[in-house]
Amino acid sequence: MNLTPIGMLLLSVLLFAAGAGMSLLLARCERLAIQLSALTGVLGGLCGLAAAVPVLLSGQGVSFAIDGPFAFAHFVVRMDLLAALMVTVISAMALIASIYSLSYVQEYEGRGAWTMGFFMNLFVASMIGLVVIDNAFYFLVFFEAMSLSSYFLVIFDQDREAVDAGFLYFLIAHAGSVLIMVAFFILYQKSGSLDFDSFRALHLTGPLASVVFLLAFFGFGAKAGMVPLHGWLPRAHPAAPSHASAMMSGVMVKIGVFGIIKVGIDLLGASTAWWGVVVLAFGAVSSVLGVLYALAEQDIKRLLAYSTVENVGIILMGVGTGMVGMATGHPVIAVLGLLAGLYHLVNHAVFKGLLFLGAGSILYRTHTKDMEQLGGLARVMPYTAFAFLFGSLAICALPPFNGFVSEWFTYQAMFGMSHGGDMLLRIAGPVAIVALALTGALAALCFVKAYGVCFSGNPRSHHAAEAKEAPCSMVFALMLLAVACVVLGLAAPCVSPIISHVASSLTGGVALVVTQGSVIHPGNPAQTLVSTPLLAVLLFLIPLIPLVLVSLFRGRRLQRRHAGDAWACGYATEGNMTVSGAGLAQPVRFMFAPLYRLRETLNPSRAMRATVDCSVSAATRVEPVWDDKLVSPIVRGVQRLGSWVQILQRGDFRIYCLYVVIALVILLLCTVR
Amino acid sequence: MPNLEMFMLAIGQAALLLLLAPLMTGISRMMRARMHSRRGPGVLQDYRDIVKLFKRQDVAPSSAGFVFRAAPYVILGTMLVLAMALPALTRHSPVAALADLITVMYLFAMVRFFFSLSGIDSGSSFAGIGAGRELTLGILVEPTMILSLLVVSLIEGTTNLGSIGASIGDNYLKAPAAIGLAMLAFGFVVFIEMGKLPFDMAEAEQELQEGPLTEYSGVSLAMLKLGLGLKKVVIAQFFLGVFLPFGLAAIPAAGSLVVALVALVLKLVAVFVLAALVENSMARGRFLLVSRVTWIGFGLAALSFIFYLTGL
Repeated sequence: MNLTPIGMLLLSVLLFAAGAGMSLLLARCERLAIQLSALTGVLGGLCGLAAAVPVLLSGQGVSFAIDGPFAFAHFVVRMDLLAALMVTVISAMALIASIYSLSYVQEYEGRGAWTMGFFMNLFVASMIGLVVIDNAFYFLVFFEAMSLSSYFLVIFDQDREAVDAGFLYFLIAHAGSVLIMVAFFILYQKSGSLDFDSFRALHLTGPLASVVFLLAFFGFGAKAGMVPLHGWLPRAHPAAPSHASAMMSGVMVKIGVFGIIKVGIDLLGASTAWWGVVVLAFGAVSSVLGVLYALAEQDIKRLLAYSTVENVGIILMGVGTGMVGMATGHPVIAVLGLLAGLYHLVNHAVFKGLLFLGAGSILYRTHTKDMEQLGGLARVMPYTAFAFLFGSLAICALPPFNGFVSEWFTYQAMFGMSHGGDMLLRIAGPVAIVALALTGALAALCFVKAYGVCFSGNPRSHHAAEAKEAPCSMVFALMLLAVACVVLGLAAPCVSPIISHVASSLTGGVALVVTQGSVIHPGNPAQTLVSTPLLAVLLFLIPLIPLVLVSLFRGRRLQRRHAGDAWACGYATEGNMTVSGAGLAQPVRFMFAPLYRLRETLNPSRAMRATVDCSVSAATRVEPVWDDKLVSPIVRGVQRLGSWVQILQRGDFRIYCLYVVIALVILLLCTVR
Repeated sequence: MPNLEMFMLAIGQAALLLLLAPLMTGISRMMRARMHSRRGPGVLQDYRDIVKLFKRQDVAPSSAGFVFRAAPYVILGTMLVLAMALPALTRHSPVAALADLITVMYLFAMVRFFFSLSGIDSGSSFAGIGAGRELTLGILVEPTMILSLLVVSLIEGTTNLGSIGASIGDNYLKAPAAIGLAMLAFGFVVFIEMGKLPFDMAEAEQELQEGPLTEYSGVSLAMLKLGLGLKKVVIAQFFLGVFLPFGLAAIPAAGSLVVALVALVLKLVAVFVLAALVENSMARGRFLLVSRVTWIGFGLAALSFIFYLTGL
């Protein structure tokens, strides 16, 4: 079969839709529903990859348009390079999440697992539709479909926590989409069409452009979970089933970033420099606060969710730098910034997906998300532990893993911005660089804690002690992602030109060469360069030298012995002596106490809730007015009528006979006359 | 890719720094002993310790996992890669593809990651607390480290450590105040990273930098001791190679390399003696209040950045 990319894309969306439909039809035989929805997920993911990867490699976008059922909106599909990159990420993650779900969803058998297949496939299909559509109306339709299907995944457990989290998510997501609608409406007013192409042709400038940008930035920012609109994220993502959390944290928040890039750069052309600075500032604040809050968490999935806030911040720092570069006429910085942002977007999908799926495996075997109940899992779940360790190394940006490459590009883009330009940028750049360095150090603590408390030491509860390795399909999905973490880092000299091409297609076509043989460099190899393959080889080989030397020259040395308890000053070791997650983070909580207090102040959920309560009470106040003025008079009238009718109906048999006689007499009189 | 000759030079300098590491820590120990009016074990004691440990069996608690077993090798290996990356004998780094500022910083982070994780992985509560403190200290020094180095890289327009060092050595007067302050700030970072009072007491083994060592023994302990000693030497050389590169060879010729070798050893000894002098005249502080002290370093770095902006 030889299909064009658009055909493949259509096939992929249809497969996901079919998976959703079949899940719904097979509600009675859940096991089959689970298997079929996983299978269509895998096939749909493969088709999505087959559609997007050729476009990415060839560097040629494709598009397709029909009129569609509505006169006011053309159905325009446009897979440009950015959309192709997003489709690649979505499809790859959907594929892996589907493999994982094959075993994982069995946990939910009998609790409506078939609805999970329905919403999950719908969720993926709407995300793919969203990124390739080129019309504001359909964009919003897909955006709503995505928000709603993920909302149902969040409230899947139906307990109080999940429903509360879902409600908050629902509110913030819709507050965001209202802002986006207003932004699109302004553009529609100016251009007279809902097609993105007409928005592009508009070349809007001046204050109105800034208004549109800010509306879209905060609207999509709510979806991306940047501070201060992040309140829903650490509650909603952990509540969803783990493969759905992986999709939400790994992919859905990127839709927010995608929207910011789409509106800020693609539609409005990043014409004003301060937009970029705003994006950069929100990114820097999100990254530092996100990771600070992450490391104070005890719930493994909440920790990961807060770390998503951090990584969205890092992506936004790259995007912001790129926008500044575009606005100030520095194409190298523009491409480099976007390259960094997009590379980190891809990387974060991979390692956050891996970590969430790892947390899911822990949950599957131990039935707890509380890290203080875990411990010692590396011995019983070695493969999961290994994959989780790889994910932790990657998310801490340690070389030669993938996180390192994208953060390196982020640093280099910001370095470029600090080096030239006016005073504001020369100050903003270094401040952002320091924030990123601080984030890196905090992330190290956060993930040493996450791995250490879950997988190291002694088990803290019988759940952890009795756990065993996760089923094959789950381990396989984790391993695929762990390999992807290594490959995206090692193959940086092959991957970065592709992403750089995507970035330069957005900034106006100035291509930037960022590789030279096996090294990557920020557009100028004389400035600096780094070679991840070389680093990987050295970091792998050099530790082997002492290892080989030690095992060769053993002399009379005895074998390694692992026995007994850890040393505890001569006392017997007890389980609760092991360092806890809270203990590890305690110095940081002490030192950064003001920033933790900020969390309460910044959290919009309270204000949101107050608004909702206010409107509910207003509604309860308004309701009686209607009652008094309209409903009650009618009710009273009907009742009065009834009481008159009651006079006729006394219940006395003789009076009823009298009625019959009277009626007969009247009828007789009528006919006689 | 680097040519073979430079690659051999890199390996040579890593081996050299590794050999020097126990000597340097020995000098620190002797300085401390003399300032305490003790005789001290002699400067070669650390070599004897390590040789002895290599003959001993590895004993670990049953709770220790694979990170615990792998960490000594990973840490020593990463430190050796760092030792290859820095400009030590030559002005420019022998392997330019390793000597990027960001890469070097994250390699240090890798050492910290595995070192503290090994402590937690041992299952010992002391090691776990030491691990937490080590990471916290990392959080406190990282901003100062990046900002002070960023100032000099902005002045020189590159983030390659070799190029920065080479051009700083040529001309300090380009921005004397900024470079001077950045040097002070980075020196402060180096002092902390070397595990000195008031931040740490490296000889008391329940403390920060050696906290995660609690459960190690035998060969693994020897590896870790070598790795940590090498870390002190490498961070000192990091400072010297970037801020005080004089005496290093401009081109890798035999004669100038010998001069550079002598200069390297002398400068390292000077740094260790100076650090020991400062350390032993300090009092011990409370750990939770360390952040108040590290603000000084960050303040210095911020000041140097402002001087850079004004062009001084």
